[in-house]
Amino acid sequence: MVISESRPFLRADGPDKVTGSGRYVADISLTGMAAAKFKYAGMAHGRITKLDLEAARSIPGVYAVLTHKDVPDVRFGAIPDRKLFASDVVRFEGEVVAAVAAIDAATAARAVEAIVVEYEPLPIVDDLEAALDENSPLVHESWADYDADHVVRDRNVASFSSIERGDVEAGMAEADLVVTSRFEADASHAVPIEPRGILAQWEGDRVTIWSSTQVPFQARAGVCETLGLATNKVRIIVPHLGGGFGGKCGFHFEAHVAALARAVRRPVKLVFTREEEFVAPDRRREGMTIDVTSGIRRDGTLVARRGRMLLDNGAYTADADFFPQLAAMHLAGPYKIPNVLIESSLVYTNRQPSGSVRAPTAPQACWALEAHTDELADAVGMDPVAFRRLNAIDSGSVGVVGQTYGEIGLQQCINAAVEEIEYGSDLPPDEAVGVAIGWWPSFPGPSGVYIKIDDDGAGQIITGAQECGTGAVMTIPHIVADELGMQPGDFELIYQDTGAAPYDVGATGSQTLLNNGRAALAGARELARQLKELAAEHLEASTEDIVLQSGEASVVGSPASSVSIVELAAIAADNNLLLAHGSSEVIETPPLVGSTCVGDQGVAAWSAPQFSCHAVRVRLDRDTGVVRVLEVSTAHDSGTIINPLGATGQVEGGVLMGIGQALTEGTRYDEDGRQLNAGLLEYKLQTIADAPTIATRFIEIDTPDAGPHGAKGLAEAPNVATAGAIANAIAKLVGHPIRRLPMTAERVWETL
Amino acid sequence: MRFTKAETVEEALHAMAAGARPIAGGSDLMVAARQGKSPLPESIVAIDRIPALSRMDADERGMRIGAAVSHAQLEVDPRIVADYTALADAAALVGSPATRHVGTIGGNIMNSSPAMDTGAPLVVLDGRVELRSLDRTRQIDISEMWTGPGQSVAAVDELCTAILLPERAPRSGSGYVRLEYRRAMEIAVVGAAASVTLAPDGDLLAAISVALTAVAPTIVSVEIPKEAIGRPVDDDLLDRIAVAASERAQPISDVRASARYRKHIVGVMARRAAASAFGRARGETIGVPLNRTAGIGAP
Repeated sequence: MVISESRPFLRADGPDKVTGSGRYVADISLTGMAAAKFKYAGMAHGRITKLDLEAARSIPGVYAVLTHKDVPDVRFGAIPDRKLFASDVVRFEGEVVAAVAAIDAATAARAVEAIVVEYEPLPIVDDLEAALDENSPLVHESWADYDADHVVRDRNVASFSSIERGDVEAGMAEADLVVTSRFEADASHAVPIEPRGILAQWEGDRVTIWSSTQVPFQARAGVCETLGLATNKVRIIVPHLGGGFGGKCGFHFEAHVAALARAVRRPVKLVFTREEEFVAPDRRREGMTIDVTSGIRRDGTLVARRGRMLLDNGAYTADADFFPQLAAMHLAGPYKIPNVLIESSLVYTNRQPSGSVRAPTAPQACWALEAHTDELADAVGMDPVAFRRLNAIDSGSVGVVGQTYGEIGLQQCINAAVEEIEYGSDLPPDEAVGVAIGWWPSFPGPSGVYIKIDDDGAGQIITGAQECGTGAVMTIPHIVADELGMQPGDFELIYQDTGAAPYDVGATGSQTLLNNGRAALAGARELARQLKELAAEHLEASTEDIVLQSGEASVVGSPASSVSIVELAAIAADNNLLLAHGSSEVIETPPLVGSTCVGDQGVAAWSAPQFSCHAVRVRLDRDTGVVRVLEVSTAHDSGTIINPLGATGQVEGGVLMGIGQALTEGTRYDEDGRQLNAGLLEYKLQTIADAPTIATRFIEIDTPDAGPHGAKGLAEAPNVATAGAIANAIAKLVGHPIRRLPMTAERVWETL
Repeated sequence: MRFTKAETVEEALHAMAAGARPIAGGSDLMVAARQGKSPLPESIVAIDRIPALSRMDADERGMRIGAAVSHAQLEVDPRIVADYTALADAAALVGSPATRHVGTIGGNIMNSSPAMDTGAPLVVLDGRVELRSLDRTRQIDISEMWTGPGQSVAAVDELCTAILLPERAPRSGSGYVRLEYRRAMEIAVVGAAASVTLAPDGDLLAAISVALTAVAPTIVSVEIPKEAIGRPVDDDLLDRIAVAASERAQPISDVRASARYRKHIVGVMARRAAASAFGRARGETIGVPLNRTAGIGAP
């Protein structure tokens, strides 16, 4: 089923967003509303020796100043290493020390200025290698007391994982050539265009929180955990969300604002500045150092790979506990390698916490691996594409953790991308084409949907799914309408409201269409059954003979015998209501076979893996080191494509984000551990004026144990391989890989 | 806060004499206030609706550009593109289409940033700035306008009313090019403008000037050795210009670039600006802006 072939896909939220009639959190005002502002640490590591709130509290118009003393003493996070407010030690510059509610934002800002905090400076941990030293200062002195048995950890290593298969020593001994490479990636940011806003209002013992979150149910869980509330006392509503890219995953500041609102007995609203959006959330893309060694035979066959990865966790473990294993999978890559040992550590530093930014760990690790892969091809004198065709997995191949892959389209992706970019044809001077391949798991999970049709035949779909801009939620009415012989416009979506909808994981892990699409399909089929039974009774026919088509229920073979769904809706309104629900059924994750993984976080064997190949053509300005991406051709296996227009948009956005990560973004720090480019002028996102020509092909494979109609996820996959492809194009022009990400003009120039 | 709207230059000057600060497009003033760098003045006078400030006039002596002429007007004005091309090259790079439509040349000059794009072109084109207060009207060479980052010789009650560009000698050309990391919403990492005039009979150099962006506390001119005059514009001369520009630069290291990189790149930019100015002086068609034709990563 392909939506755009049957009818144009008009996003239901599109007109609101384009015309400005859509409302975001910052647009909402409530009677008596106060403004919130945070006091941040402003330093990377220090012990609080004095915290004096009197001057701030005495400013007219200041309603409350809260600290750790005003909220329950609860630790939270994937490793529970964090509290809402710093109580004794601050561990990064954006740590919240106090929160103010005041009559307006300017007064709140003055109160924040008036808060007196003194610190005893502590040594800053900001070097990943040095942090491993047994004499290194600890970011968390009491790390051993945190309750986190599900991870392997030690001192500044918050989480350690390995993937291991075969005998890497023997494999290296067997190899004709051994190539070693080292790479380093700077941290980067998600940079959603809407800086987050949170508005909380209490009625009795219940609080409603409007929040720009990608994951309303996770945000609710965070509020309940830290403030000690039951889930049915907390309602999270997301109006339109102005982008997320992972940066708005997790639980962030909803509890702070709810605590303020309770204290001042008024609605309280927090709206971040752009600088706060850069510095405060625990969702930075982690920096990394990557050492990789591969053994190959003279014919190009990979026989062994050893890797060591250090990931910058920052000061707290937001959701990054599983990152080491995921990173290791991306350094292993979608290749056939019989002997593998990759050890990967998530390391605490006194920097902003890292978290799930679009395809966490993948762009950096894939960049390093794919640059390394071109070095391997070069070492045996093979064309890099031929090298990948030889070593990349195909349907039926066994991968690095022993998983045997079913029907997959990676080889077809390679063929399509290189064909589209006319790989191997003559190019002008200072232009080159680079190619990289990538992969990404699908994350099956729980989700649910209610669907109802009211007495006039108008429908509602009530879903817990969160629209973060991908259009995945907007696809749900199409899936439902197709099952019911109705039009997508017959349905309104009720979504992004924990008070109305069943649980959903949220806009994270490319899971919305995969899981919510299945729930919607199940719900729609249940509603179809109800309609057919009603129609069968009305038409005096057998239920099995009823078909739903063009807004009507009719009897197979006798189209004259039919009743409109509007009519059926009117009948149902006085009897059994047209009311269905659906859940996404459990999909078992494939087991690990023939491999051992220390610190297994469940992300080594993958459900419905997605594959991609990106080929880019770049031009190098040799005098300046400036690289410009001229053309990108991509091919993706994300299973069945349900909405080609939306899917193409996802790929193009991912590519543009990948170009920024490859060339111009990257967070810079001063020697005191503070961000130097926490703003849109100095943090160089790509603009539409920079966009190259992007061609996208989909290798459509109806994948079992995947999403609706054999679809896999697609939100993160397009962000995996672009940087690696650019690296390989640059390497062809300068004669060696650029070993630091982003590959800025100055860094390229330095190597010339 | 007091906000007045001036209909004439005189109204604006009276308001400024009473302490008001002028606002035209607001693309620097508002951004600085929002970023908390400098709060909005207590009293503001809007000068964007004064017809005299939005005019461009040309006669045999040259061009008079009203201070409220926008970058968007400059980048497409046929006379600017033909005769004062470096200024069009620069205007076309400022901010985004939105900022170019509100941002004005007078604002760009009075903001006095060493990274301003229109500054180096105006220096090599021998521009003069007209400053008016209630008491007097004066014209000063643009090269004497700036004294440091955000600092100029203009008194607080002086309004920039126009920029005067002298008539160009025959067989002249100019160009401006900058290092940029992206194609919109960008600020010059370094930049260079050049103006070249050729002898009437042949391609020997009759006059040249070069100025640099974002490598010193203000826009600075580069001293080109006198021996260059009367010589052909060849690789050797262009190399000398590059070296002279790099030597003139006193850049800082910051998050955008290291001083070492800036010092090198400004020579590259000066070379490209001079080569393009030479080409334009010879009558070659080199599109505007230079950054998209002979410049950075140009397709």
